[in-house]
Formats: sequence, structure tokens, C-alpha cells
Amino acid sequence: MFFQQVINGLSVGGIYALMAVGYSLIYSLLNFTNFAHSITVTIGAFATFYFLTELFENIYAGILFAIVVAGILAILIQILGYSVLLKKNAQRIYLLITGLGISTMCDNLVIISFTSRFRVYPVNFSTKAINVFGATFGTIDLIILAVSAVALILVQLFIKKSRAGLAIRGASFSLETASIMGINTQKLIMIVFLIAGALAGLAGALLGAKYTAYPALGTNMANKAFISSVVGGLGSITGAVIGALILGIGEVLISGYLSSAMRDIFSYTLLVIILFVKPSGLMGVDIGDRA
Amino acid sequence: MLEYWLGVATLTGIYMIAVLGMSVLTGFTGLFSVGHAGFMAIGAYTSALLTKTYGIPNIFGVISAMAAALIVGLLIGYPTLKLKGDYFVIATLGIGQATKLIIENLPGITGGARGLTGIPPGSSFLTVLIIVVVVIWILRNFLRSKQGRNCVAVREDELAAASIGTKVASYKLLAMGISCALCGLSGALLAHFMQYLSPSMFSIVKSDELVMTVILGGTGSLTGSIVASLILIPLPEVLRFGAVQEWRMVFYGLLVVLVIIFRPSGLMGNREFSIAGLRRFFENMRLRMKHGRAK
Amino acid sequence: MQDKEAILELRNVSKYFGGITASEDICISVPKGYIYGIIGPNGAGKTTLFNMITGVYDTTEGEIFFNGKKINGLPTAAIAKLGVARTFQNIRLFGSLSVYDNIFTACQKNITYSLLDGLFRTPKCRRQERAMSDYCEELLEAVGLIEFRDQQADNLPYGLQRRLEIARAMATSPQLILLDEPAAGMNDEESMALTAFVQSIRDEHGITIVIIDHHMDVIMALCDHITVLNFGQLLAKGSPDEIQTNPDVITAYLGVDD
Ligand SMILES: Nc1ncnc2c1ncn2[C@@H]1O[C@H](COP(=O)(O)OP(=O)(O)O)[C@@H](O)[C@H]1O
Ligand SMILES: [Mg+2]
Repeated sequence: MFFQQVINGLSVGGIYALMAVGYSLIYSLLNFTNFAHSITVTIGAFATFYFLTELFENIYAGILFAIVVAGILAILIQILGYSVLLKKNAQRIYLLITGLGISTMCDNLVIISFTSRFRVYPVNFSTKAINVFGATFGTIDLIILAVSAVALILVQLFIKKSRAGLAIRGASFSLETASIMGINTQKLIMIVFLIAGALAGLAGALLGAKYTAYPALGTNMANKAFISSVVGGLGSITGAVIGALILGIGEVLISGYLSSAMRDIFSYTLLVIILFVKPSGLMGVDIGDRA
Repeated sequence: MLEYWLGVATLTGIYMIAVLGMSVLTGFTGLFSVGHAGFMAIGAYTSALLTKTYGIPNIFGVISAMAAALIVGLLIGYPTLKLKGDYFVIATLGIGQATKLIIENLPGITGGARGLTGIPPGSSFLTVLIIVVVVIWILRNFLRSKQGRNCVAVREDELAAASIGTKVASYKLLAMGISCALCGLSGALLAHFMQYLSPSMFSIVKSDELVMTVILGGTGSLTGSIVASLILIPLPEVLRFGAVQEWRMVFYGLLVVLVIIFRPSGLMGNREFSIAGLRRFFENMRLRMKHGRAK
Repeated sequence: MQDKEAILELRNVSKYFGGITASEDICISVPKGYIYGIIGPNGAGKTTLFNMITGVYDTTEGEIFFNGKKINGLPTAAIAKLGVARTFQNIRLFGSLSVYDNIFTACQKNITYSLLDGLFRTPKCRRQERAMSDYCEELLEAVGLIEFRDQQADNLPYGLQRRLEIARAMATSPQLILLDEPAAGMNDEESMALTAFVQSIRDEHGITIVIIDHHMDVIMALCDHITVLNFGQLLAKGSPDEIQTNPDVITAYLGVDD
């Protein structure tokens, strides 16, 4: 039972991590929270649903489709929404408000286009169970766990090994310095939004499989990812993953042993406590202002 | 029919108080919150429960509501406003959601998700009107005072503000306190006006609407917030058909993005409406033409 | 060796950013009433010194005294209240406020009314506001910005933005003003005007001034004493004449200047 809960928690945490890494990547490079992140999650779920119902009934192809659509959407959000503000070095509050505006607009467009109904993927795997060491696991949880782990490892490799990843890490100390040193920061910003969007799309596709697709899915879940990234430390990618796993396991155990109503209270209370006790999170660093 | 519109007007006044609070926080001090509906909820339930359960007069209920919202606001503001980064915004998200969840999960006390009924009536049109006028007068005084100017300095440039001796974190906390007290007041008035409360009245969407109303009115203009409130708050009452509410939010979102990108100072700019202001505007135009713009 | 007359004293001050040494073992003593110059190539650590003096950065090592009181470790606002004002290398005005409001916001020294006085605009509040308002008008007149009183700070021409930033520093009634490259980007005519302006701040208001700049004519015309920094270290100290003939300074500038 406990073992089963932990696996379940890891699978929830894995999805949170996919979204939390997006928050952290953007925060580490640009120092603001992308409030429009949630919409790429919602779109990921709906893209998968419509791919499966209208085009081709293969979950993996559907997931891939969601990744592409959400990645493109994230790039569009950056180009149409943030880029002007970033170019004129606008105050951070304007970026936050723009993100809020975009997410409000898109959330409601989704409701208008797709209605508030809950959509179940036509792929039937949530009932199948696998037996390991006497414990039963939902197939879906194992798939989610594996897919998120692979995606997170790929992103980690990209950040740690590739030239662009190196540039992103360097630029996260100071975007200005990086740009003076001749690094194409516009390109870095695009890459970061693309990765964040693609991961969010993947998360959306998986969430849709686990919980069905509905318009508020992105907002509800992205908030949890946001909490994860704070628990781990704003702007720290490793921290985001650790925070997400802690939150995922915590939530599953709470809903398993207490009640599912207590689950969300747990998450938001954890958030408030972290802000009181160690606001920089488990792995975060405080960055000073430059005069 | 008249009664209906009087009700709409009262409701507009009640929400306007919360918008004015947000205006001090977001418009004048440059802080962003996604959870201020939570402070309205704290105020609403505090006053509702105190008056309903203990039978104390509404006025004391309302004062307690303001105090409760203020205290919670200062408690989460104190540790997070000292930090650089988005910690404060995150704290407002946390408190907004936590408040709603706690109300939903204490059905014995708050009525839970099904709501709280039997709240003593109050908040007549006249009462609300008087309170709105007093609040506007006090805020106008505040913004013309040293304390108000320091808040604006913080919005403009924290480092520059500190370099002229402004205690940045203290003034942020002050703005937070004012906004929370006003949201608490607004919530309490709402409770007695509706005589019914449910947690869904204080969702994150409501918080977002408060911010967006301030942005559309103009960051740094009290008049702008008032005008935006007068237009935007009654709108859902006027538009009551089909998917029009969703379209309204699409429109708000789009407008907010456009305003921020093309005219960050909002519809009214950071000017208050006055004859002197109009004169200044033309004077500015003249000088701008004469000297050209910097850079 | 503490100079009794020193208004500002840096004792063995160092600042490291991770592996970068921005300042190392700097000792500077600024006598009261001086116009004190700090020069050095870009990246020499000049701005970093100002940031440490004003509490924007903490010192890694060493101590800073203002009027004999240790100020390092104090928050920026507290240091400003003691009487240290500054300008910034990349101008930081209250951009969307008018020229007048920029100055008025900085005028706080004689405002003692409480928040409640402000909220209800009591007679005490009105009286002090009126007095301050008169003072600001006078200051604007004195610094030659009265003509632009109601113009938005962001819309001012560059030279006037610099002047306004200095005026804002003066409005805090400081004993010491730190000017970070006030002549940057100015042509000869503008920097001449600036030189006269800075001179008058010291002569007419009795304010001690520390000035960083790359315009040697400005520095040489104004300064009573000059310190040269290079790679975070103190390279030379002396009168303008001594500095101009110092071989180390000449090599450093010839070697590094762009
Ligand atoms: N906040 C900071 N973080 C890291 N390095 C910094 C910071 N501020 C200044 N530096 C470094 O310290 C050195 C000195 O900078 P600065 O004081 O600005 O030089 P100057 O004003 O003489 O041109 C430079 O190498 C600069 O990159
Ligand atoms: Mg410098």
C-alpha cells in the first residue's frame, strides 16, 4: 500500500516537475514568473485529446503532438506578449501582469471553444494494472513516471552538456553581461520558452490521461508546479524537481491517509510555511540588485 | 427596477473599495498580488460570523473584519516584502488559495462550499456611498502625503528610493496593510449586503479582476481606478447572456496585455483628473515639442 | 591614522563577487568640504565603492566611517538619512513623476508628521507640506530647473536628467554627495556647465563631494584631491598636478583605456 502510494506520488511529482522546470528555467534567465505558463499545459491536454479523437488513436503520437503545439504556443506568447517588454527592459511587474492577462484571455478562449466539459481520452489504460512485488500499479502511473523521467533527464543533459545549455546557465547570472559578451540572448530566451512550453505540453498530455482534459486543468496543476519551484528554490532547476517530488509524494500520502480535501490545504500551507521559514527554498539563492 | 439598479450601484461601490485598495498596492507602490480576493474573504467571513453568531452590531463586525484582513496581510507581507524576487506574489497566491480552501473545508463554521446564510443585513446604498467617499478622501490625502510619495518612489525605482532615505520594505508593508484593510472592509460590506457568502465568490479569478481593473484604470491614478470600477464592475450585470462572461474576460485579458505593452500607465495615465492637470498636460506637450525627447 | 576632519573614511575595504575582486584593501579619507575625485579605467571598482558606502553592497572586508560613525552594515535608507546622498552611473530618476515631484519626494528631512496626520491631512501636515513645497521651489530655482517644473522626468533631455538627479540628491539635505560619472555622455559645453554646477554645490551649500568621472578636464578643474583605482586596487593618490604627472597612472591609462 505505502509502496504503491509512493510510486503514485512520484508519478504526480514527475508531472509537477515537468511544469516546475519551465517556471525555473524562465525565472533563472529572466527573473520573472511566467504567469502564462499554465495555458500551455491546458493546451497540451486538449491537443492530445483532439489528436486522439480526430486524427490517430496512438497515445505516444498524441503526446508528441501536444509537445509541438505547446512549444509553439509558448514561443508565440514570448514573441507577442513578453518580447516587447523585455526589449525595453520594463519593470518586472509589467511582465507579471502581461502573463496574467494572457492567461486570463486564453483560459476563457479555451472555455468558449471547448466548453467546460471534462474530456476523457479514448485510450483505455487507466483501468489496467500491473503487479510488481505484490503491489498493484496503474499502467498510467508507470507510463507517466517513465516518460517524465526521460524528459527530465534529456533536459538536464541539454542544460549541462550542450553549448546552448551552457550559455543559458552563464546568462542566468547576468543576461546583460552575456549580451555584452556577444551571446545572442534573444535566441536563448526563445530556447528557454520552447523547452518550458514543450515540457508543459507533455505535462498537459499526461495530466489529461490521468485526470481528463478540462479548461481549468492547467491553472490548477501549474499552481502546484509553481509551489514546487518555490519549495525547491525559485530559479533552481534541480530544486524544482526535488520540490515537485516532495509535493507529489506529500499530496498522494495526504489524500491516501487523510482526505483528498486536505491535499490542497497541505500544498498551500507548505507554500506559506516555506515562505516564512526559508523563502529562498531548499536550493535557492538570493540575487542582489545591481546599481 | 429602481431597486435593482440601486443594488448594482451599491455592489459597484463595495467592489470599488477593494479596487481602491489594490490601486494603492499595485498602482502606486508597484506590487503585484494574485490573492487579494482572499483578504475580501477574510473580511467577509469575519464580519458575517461575528455578527451572526455573537449578535454584535455590524459596525464592530466590519471593524474586526478590517483588523483581521490587515493582520493576516501584514503577517505574510512582513517576511516576503523584504526579499527581492517574486516571493511576495507567491505569498499572495498561497494566502488567496489557502483562505478559500480553509473556508471550504470548515463546513461546521463557515457553511463550507454550500455557503453561509442568515447574515444580518446592512450596507445600504447610502452607507456604502458615504464609506466610498470617505475612503477616496483618505486615499487622496495619503497619496499627497510623505508616506504616499514614498510608496510611489518605491514603485518608480527601489534603489533610488532607498538612496533618498526611503525604507523600501516598510513602505511596501504599509501599502500592503492599506490594501488588505480596504479589501477586508469591502468583503465585510459585501457580506451584509448579500446576506449570503460562499467561497466561490472569492476565487482567484476575482483577485485577477481586481488587479486588471486597476491596470486598465491606470497605475498611479486614483481617478482612473474609480472610473474603471464604475465601468467594469457593473458590466457583468449588464451583460447577462450566453458565453458573454467568458468573452468579457477574454476582452479584459487582451486589453490588459495591450495596455501594458502600448500604454503602461493605463487609460488615465498616472494623472488625476483635474483642471490643473489638463493645463499641465498641454504645458508638457508644448515643452516636449520645444526640447525633444531624451535619448 | 584617523584624520579628525575626515567626513568619510574607508579603512582597508575589500569586495569580492564570487571569484571577481572588485575592490581590494582600499583606504580613502575624504576631508570635510573637499571635492574628492576617484578615477580609473572601466571595471576598476569605482562604482562598487559607492555601492559599499551607500550600503547597496556589504563590504567583504574592512570598515567605512561617516563622521566617525561606522556605517557599513547599515541599510541604504539609514545611511541616506545620516546625510549621504548619491547619483547613479545609469541615471535612476523617478521617471514617470514630474521634475517637481522628484525633488519633493526627496525632501523629507523636516517632515515629521505621522501617518495619521497624512491620512487626515491635519493642520500640522498642511503646514509642513507648504514649507517643504516652498523650499522645493527655491531649490528648483537655484539649480536652474524651475522652467521644467511640471515636465515628466523621463522626457527631459539627458543633460537635464543628470542635473535633476543631482538636485534630488541635494534635496535630501546631505552633508556628502557621491556623483557617479555625472559628465558621462556630455559634450564639452555641457560638461563645463556641470563643472560650474558641482563647484557651486560645494561652495554655496557647503556639501562635501566625491566624484567619479572619465572627463579629465572636469576632474582636474574640480578636485582638491584624487584617488586612482586600477583592477580594484589603489594605484595612486594626490593633488591633480601630482596625478597628471604620476608615471603609474599614465601607464595604467595608456595600457587599458578605450
Ligand atoms: N553585482 C555584481 N556582481 C558581480 N560582479 C560585479 C557586480 N558589481 C560589479 N561587479 C564587478 O566588479 C568590477 C568592478 O565594477 P565597477 O565597480 O562597476 O567598476 P567601475 O565603476 O570602476 O567601472 C567589475 O569587474 C564588475 O564586473
Ligand atoms: Mg562605474
